[in-house]
Amino acid sequence: MEAKGGGDGQRGAPVSSATLGAGVGSVSARDGGPGPQRLGQPRPRRRRRTLERRERAGAAFVLPFLVVFLLTMVAPVIYAVYDSLYRTTLFGGTSFAGVSNYGQTFSSGDFWGGVERVAVFAAVQVPVTLALAFFFAAIFDLRVVKAGGLFRLLFFVPYAVPAVVAAIMWSFLLVPQYGSYTKVAEALGASNADFFSTNLILPTIIVIVIWEVVGYNMVIFFTALKSVPNQVVEAAVLDGASIWAVIFRVKLPMIRSAVVMLTFLNLIGAMQLFTEPSIISTFEPQAISFGFTPALFIYNTSIGNGQYNLGAAAAVVFAVVIAIASIGSLLVARRRSALA
Amino acid sequence: MSAGSIGSVPARPGRGAATQPASPARRRLLAGRHDTADELPRHLLGVSRTTSAVLTAVCVLFALFTLAPLAWIVINSTKTQANIFQTFGFWFARPFELWHNISLLDQNVVGNGTYLQWLANTALYAGVGSVGATLFATLAGYGFSRYRFRGKGALFAIVMSALLVPVSAITLPLYLVYAKAHLINSIWGMILPSIVSPVGVFLMRTFIDAALPRELIDAARVDGSGEVRIFLRIGVPLIVPGLVTVLLLSVVAIWNNYFLPLFIFSQNQLYPVTVGLSQLSSHGTTSGSLAVEPLLVLGGLVTILPLALLFVVLQRYWRGGALLGGIAG
Repeated sequence: MEAKGGGDGQRGAPVSSATLGAGVGSVSARDGGPGPQRLGQPRPRRRRRTLERRERAGAAFVLPFLVVFLLTMVAPVIYAVYDSLYRTTLFGGTSFAGVSNYGQTFSSGDFWGGVERVAVFAAVQVPVTLALAFFFAAIFDLRVVKAGGLFRLLFFVPYAVPAVVAAIMWSFLLVPQYGSYTKVAEALGASNADFFSTNLILPTIIVIVIWEVVGYNMVIFFTALKSVPNQVVEAAVLDGASIWAVIFRVKLPMIRSAVVMLTFLNLIGAMQLFTEPSIISTFEPQAISFGFTPALFIYNTSIGNGQYNLGAAAAVVFAVVIAIASIGSLLVARRRSALA
Repeated sequence: MSAGSIGSVPARPGRGAATQPASPARRRLLAGRHDTADELPRHLLGVSRTTSAVLTAVCVLFALFTLAPLAWIVINSTKTQANIFQTFGFWFARPFELWHNISLLDQNVVGNGTYLQWLANTALYAGVGSVGATLFATLAGYGFSRYRFRGKGALFAIVMSALLVPVSAITLPLYLVYAKAHLINSIWGMILPSIVSPVGVFLMRTFIDAALPRELIDAARVDGSGEVRIFLRIGVPLIVPGLVTVLLLSVVAIWNNYFLPLFIFSQNQLYPVTVGLSQLSSHGTTSGSLAVEPLLVLGGLVTILPLALLFVVLQRYWRGGALLGGIAG
């Protein structure tokens, strides 16, 4: 590392000595210390000192972030692991509980039911979102639709809507009996339509979340597609490629890394599902169970029931589950792109 | 400007004169005005009128799907409690109660605080938090991008691995630490974690890698400038677009944050808008004299407006997609 730094420092010097000539002397004089004598001293030591100072400067730039990062992300995780090994009771005080909180988490059907539910949710929401986002980005990119810029803007609007507000709007639209969309469904022949029923609640939330995130994903796809050199597309067109061939055979493979990144970001987001069910439960409490999603399980266990140690154990298990899922999907993505 | 004038040079003598018998696509390519580098004329792709019409129809449908809830919230912010549930959702109803509903924003309707207080809190958290996040991410991104120091690679890897840790798993641990550190029901409890943006560090590092030539920094060093001076005078002016992007992303993230404040605030005068609205929503009823629902609807609408305004004002700088796309592409 330091050797590389030395090489780096040298890179500037020859240029200036070649172009400025006599100027070099005055520069080193301004650097502090008598110039002429410097030339007689062993240069490496001076350079090492500059490098050390520079190294310290680099670390100083990173330090403020690292301090807050340690305080708000690393320390809490360590503390959570510690806390999850204890048990606090109202009268008995706090006592070491070993892994019993973990045992309770692992044997909790509610917790794993939530994990399974977000897995199903992610398995549907993420592919549909990405497919829609890519589809729109591709046709706007190739300008097959008039006023693509306007559509792009309109589709992006939900990004400015906080999830809480989005969930409130959609709840009003879908609430049984009174919701505008419920009335539409009933007018179309679905009597007693209930979008918050056991069977429909998950599809309903999927639609809401898709509404929220398609536009943002589309913008990122659009920018990635724009970065594909136009000559490539021209060449394909001259070879007689159809629009679909251009989209799927030429453009899509060239933005593979954008696809991988968005898949990854959307998956992590989907696993953390909380806001939408939480807001829906304020409209229809019985629609959302205690452990509907892992995030709800953690919240209800700790803040709701005051079982902080158990909640901490659930948080640790959940973090591990997500880490495994995301590392696994990264490995799959990497292997697949290695094959291609 | 210069690019534009080059692109609009009218005459292109000799172009295509020597080409072999052209395929239809080639002929179309040569015939069309094909000046700007990033545009391919539509007709080239051989998209039929029908396909184009179908695709446009799909876009219109999706636009309706996207805009309908927003139209609903605008329309219903002018209604009374009863009319929100009993009249047609996509048209106005009498009485027109918008002005009365606006007056509710300043009232403690169900006894858990006023909307304007929550909005002010959100503005405070988002303002301080996003400036802090941008500052720290820029410093760290600059350090990671333009310096070498011991343990740099490992540190950066640790920061990036934080992207894997779900916010919803880290919030309870944070709450537990806060309980020891007396940061529950403290605005610092909200602001401090908002300042940490690993994504911001990643974006700033990538942006600085691309936008700030190493040679420029070296030249300034040769001229005898100090490291801080180099950062402020040479670094910052060149990375303003990246800086504004991180600022925007942070504002949106904090403005929308619901999970963390839900954990750490139990006093309603500290609630941000998201928590305030959800608490208000849990008091909602389909009838009754309390005007909970009009406040909820109008409050939701008012929560959207500042973000929408921010996007319009800073549109020029909105390079979030560009940054991510650049990384991806």
